[in-house]
Amino acid sequence: MIKKKKYSMPLFVLAFLITLLVIFPIIWLFMSSFKGEGELFAYPLHFFPQQFSIANYEKVLRKGFMQYVQNSFFIAVMSTVITLAICGMAGYALAVYRKDFKWSQYIFLYFIVGTLVPGEVQMIPKFDIILATHLYNNIWGVILPVVASTTGIFLYRQFFVSMPMDIVEAARIDGAGEIYIFTRIMLPLAKTSTLILTIFSFMWRWNDYILPMVVLNKQKNYTIQIAIRNYIGNNGVDWPSIIAGSCMSIIPVLLVFMVLQKYIIGGIATSGMKN
Amino acid sequence: MKHFDGQFVWTVRRIVLIKKGVCKHMKKGVRNTRIGAFLFLLAPAFILYTVYFFVPLVMSFWYSLTDYDGIYTMNFIGLKNYVKVLQDRDFYAAMLRTLLYTLVNVPFKVLLPLGTAVLLTSKRLRCRTFFRAGLYIPVLLSSLIVGITINWMFGQEYGLINFMIQKLGGTALEWSMNPVLAETVISIASNWASLGYFMLIFIGAINNVPKELYEAASIDGADRWQSFLHITIPMIAPETFLVLMLSTNDLLKEYAVVQGVTRGGPGSSTTFILQYIYEQGFNSGKNGYASAISVLAMVVFLAIALVQFKFTNGGDDND
Repeated sequence: MIKKKKYSMPLFVLAFLITLLVIFPIIWLFMSSFKGEGELFAYPLHFFPQQFSIANYEKVLRKGFMQYVQNSFFIAVMSTVITLAICGMAGYALAVYRKDFKWSQYIFLYFIVGTLVPGEVQMIPKFDIILATHLYNNIWGVILPVVASTTGIFLYRQFFVSMPMDIVEAARIDGAGEIYIFTRIMLPLAKTSTLILTIFSFMWRWNDYILPMVVLNKQKNYTIQIAIRNYIGNNGVDWPSIIAGSCMSIIPVLLVFMVLQKYIIGGIATSGMKN
Repeated sequence: MKHFDGQFVWTVRRIVLIKKGVCKHMKKGVRNTRIGAFLFLLAPAFILYTVYFFVPLVMSFWYSLTDYDGIYTMNFIGLKNYVKVLQDRDFYAAMLRTLLYTLVNVPFKVLLPLGTAVLLTSKRLRCRTFFRAGLYIPVLLSSLIVGITINWMFGQEYGLINFMIQKLGGTALEWSMNPVLAETVISIASNWASLGYFMLIFIGAINNVPKELYEAASIDGADRWQSFLHITIPMIAPETFLVLMLSTNDLLKEYAVVQGVTRGGPGSSTTFILQYIYEQGFNSGKNGYASAISVLAMVVFLAIALVQFKFTNGGDDND
């Protein structure tokens, strides 16, 4: 087959236009965030701020936005650390001992139910459980219910299933304990899975909306998402604050993405990560 | 496997030992150690999953049979809630709206990412990685922010879209006042947010199609379009099925995007089923009733997934 290794200009232009169209709303949001309140609501609209202003950011920061950033950050980091630990453990257990105990297959099935049933639909009883475990209005109330991620367990299990069991057998004969084998030998081998899950877990928790909305009722516990939602008040929408807050919430994930985009894009193509 | 060379040598020796029957049978002590390790490793995830996922699942069935109001009363009332739900016009309206919204959007959710994936896997396109990353950016946003970002573009008075319509000589559209237009904005937001993710799934699928197939087809005189239709499409069927299932599921559960765009309005014209459940449960204190709706919604969702699975034959794959 004769293949001309020539790049096509029309294709490039098409791809460029589509990409521009897709990211334009975000660019527009950022541009708007630097416009003063007067300029935001005045015709004609301009792409670049006529008068560059950081008043919107100052406004949200004055209203205690940093506290919300801190809360979101704490939640995202804590949940991610716990998710990695317990999903790694469970995924390993379900993979490595699957031939030792036949009944472990049923436990795996039990976890799979979690991916089939939409969790959002059980928000009402979930809320009662959170109340009963004294986690209402507590930051842990949005961490503990979500850390046992079935996606995470599945990701680790699939990785460990693909590893040769001989490594484990060999270590056992050498006298290594079961936990030692997991933490020192097997887990380090799963670093790609760990990295992918780290990125995704951070993103999921940073962007969580429904659970924090239901559980966190005190202003000092608000996450960024809840704070932004509350700018959509009952007496009108506070657009300047919403825009500035949204931009601030986008920046961290955007930075993480830029640094690690190779893993994110590779990760989805191979494992189909989904919350 | 370069890094494991040392380990490999050992492994081979162990296998020899195992084959010789040195450690053929699991001794009782060994078995107990392994059960211990297994339970220890599994316990944290198992407990949290049970408490915060499985118990609520069972409870929602129980609640649906009571008149639970969220605080005080909880009497067993049998199937009364279900009878009431099935006579509730608002329930049917929300459910129909959700189904219609899903039906209208599913083709876009599958075809737009497929189209961009085909474009961004073309060998004749420069800077493919750059474009892929760019198209993925909206996926990073939370659903709420997605709603807000799109809503800001479609603002009635000072939105960019209306500004442009007026510049071109049209009249500004009432995006948030007209039910159809409001739903359009939600659809745009939803598609915008998922495009990059589904595109990457398709890109992965397309890259996995063996190159020899295309070469063979081109020798046989097939043009690009024919190769696409008769090679790419059948070969990526499993992933297409995956995207179909995931997008249907997302659409049926659309909630946060709606919150960012219309909050269910105008009136209740964009109140989808999940929002209706939350309204009934959290805002009106009819927890038992809301649970009955949840159970019915769950049944409908699962039935839809099952029908899709039947009709597409699971993408003809057991993945």
